[in-house]
Amino acid sequence: MVDMAAMGTTMKDMHQTDRNPTMTEPKISAKNVNVFYGETHAIKDVTVDIADKTVTAFIGPSGCGKSTFLRCLNRMNDTIDIARVQGTILLDGQDIYDPRIDPVQLRAQVGMVFQKPNPFPKSIYDNVAYGPRIHGMAANKAELDDIVESSLRRAALWNEVKDRLDAPGTGLSGGQQQRLCIARAIATSPEVLLMDEPCSALDPIATAQVEELIDELRANYSVVIVTHSMQQAARVSQKTAFFHLGQLVEFGDTGEIFTNPRDPRTESYITGRIG
Amino acid sequence: MTKEHIVSAFDRDLEGIQATVMKMGGLVEEALRGAIKALETGDTELAQKVRKSDRSVDELDLKVKHDAARILALRSPTASDLRLVLSVIEISAHLERCGDYAKNIAKRSIVLAENAQIEGTVPALRRMATFVLSMLSDALDAYIRKDASLAEAVIERDLEADDMYNTLFRSLLTHMMEDPRSIAAGMHLHFIAKNIERVGDHATGIAEQTIYVVTGALPEDDRPKKDGTSITFKPSDE
Repeated sequence: MVDMAAMGTTMKDMHQTDRNPTMTEPKISAKNVNVFYGETHAIKDVTVDIADKTVTAFIGPSGCGKSTFLRCLNRMNDTIDIARVQGTILLDGQDIYDPRIDPVQLRAQVGMVFQKPNPFPKSIYDNVAYGPRIHGMAANKAELDDIVESSLRRAALWNEVKDRLDAPGTGLSGGQQQRLCIARAIATSPEVLLMDEPCSALDPIATAQVEELIDELRANYSVVIVTHSMQQAARVSQKTAFFHLGQLVEFGDTGEIFTNPRDPRTESYITGRIG
Repeated sequence: MTKEHIVSAFDRDLEGIQATVMKMGGLVEEALRGAIKALETGDTELAQKVRKSDRSVDELDLKVKHDAARILALRSPTASDLRLVLSVIEISAHLERCGDYAKNIAKRSIVLAENAQIEGTVPALRRMATFVLSMLSDALDAYIRKDASLAEAVIERDLEADDMYNTLFRSLLTHMMEDPRSIAAGMHLHFIAKNIERVGDHATGIAEQTIYVVTGALPEDDRPKKDGTSITFKPSDE
């Protein structure tokens, strides 16, 4: 008979061991995070450690707080007047809500890709060069060219656009636009990439390309992805967090969450039962 | 997990595949009972019927595998649903083997009907078969009720089935050593005993699947094994 228990272990560990990330220190460590939108208590006492060089998926029904929590990780909630964030979020041990931290600098370190591809109404080149320019990351045109090329290459878009870098980014297909946004996010050499439903506006082929890209990006970044597609979470992530009604219900290895979740609420959600 | 799926067709698929396995279980139990009865009564007609009935079991096994593949492809089951589909595939394979054993017992019963019997063996086989059939029936009950403690009890009982087999083995061996003319019958009866003992192992395998579905983990592989026949008789002992 096949030893299912042993098989489960190998399935669960496969992604971790083939990359062998330094798991000792979490990249992001969130402790007792609470978020309020005015009177609404949107995130309730969430504590979680996010590993480096790992894809972590946040799943949960609409309104469960997964996007809200994601937006805490690079202080995107600062832009919402009525939002209040309590608790601590450490990036490499440094409190990102420390008053001395410059949020703009933080967002260069913790990049973000949104649901809908949102390239600037500029050329493909300028879309990618924008971040490095404002952060003064390139001393001259040649250095900037290098950053643009390597970012587009890492976003698996270079070959498709290298002959038309001056063309507007908005003229690309949806999938290409999203990869352009990923190239833009990684141009500032971030350490963490946050992705909020990065494939929900893409067709299956473009989705597969972005998923392949996410898997490659894992070699260099800590990737956190919010997704409504549980199959996508299962395909791309090594760790999965299930949010429900503002709480982090369960967090664990993706293989384990999808074969043998501990909490009945997780089970109800991922098996498509009312819950 | 008793709550219903939002997509009710998913529930119907999962219920359907379990119903097929239970139907298979019913056919296999009937075949085993028939095979033992044919052995007891020398009813070769019944034995032929049992042999033919194995085809239906094989067809149901194919149906289970086909339906399971379809559910995996179309519904992408997860967690307890996934474990249920995987367990159904395993249980179907166990039952298919049990069907083969029933067919084999029926085949040997036809040969034995024309041979002199070894006294006392057939009643002992009958007792062993009754015991193992109750294991199989409880294993299937435990599965459909998702009753892990009943499944544990089935696994424990396999020791007793092994004991019964060991006793029969020694008794047949003694007969064959004393009277070489009994070897032909003795060999057939021994294979029948072994077949029945194997049904007990498959009942245990089905019980293990119930534990997997309920708990998410198979029991550790330290389950009781008590086949002592390999040390019962050594040629050098003669």
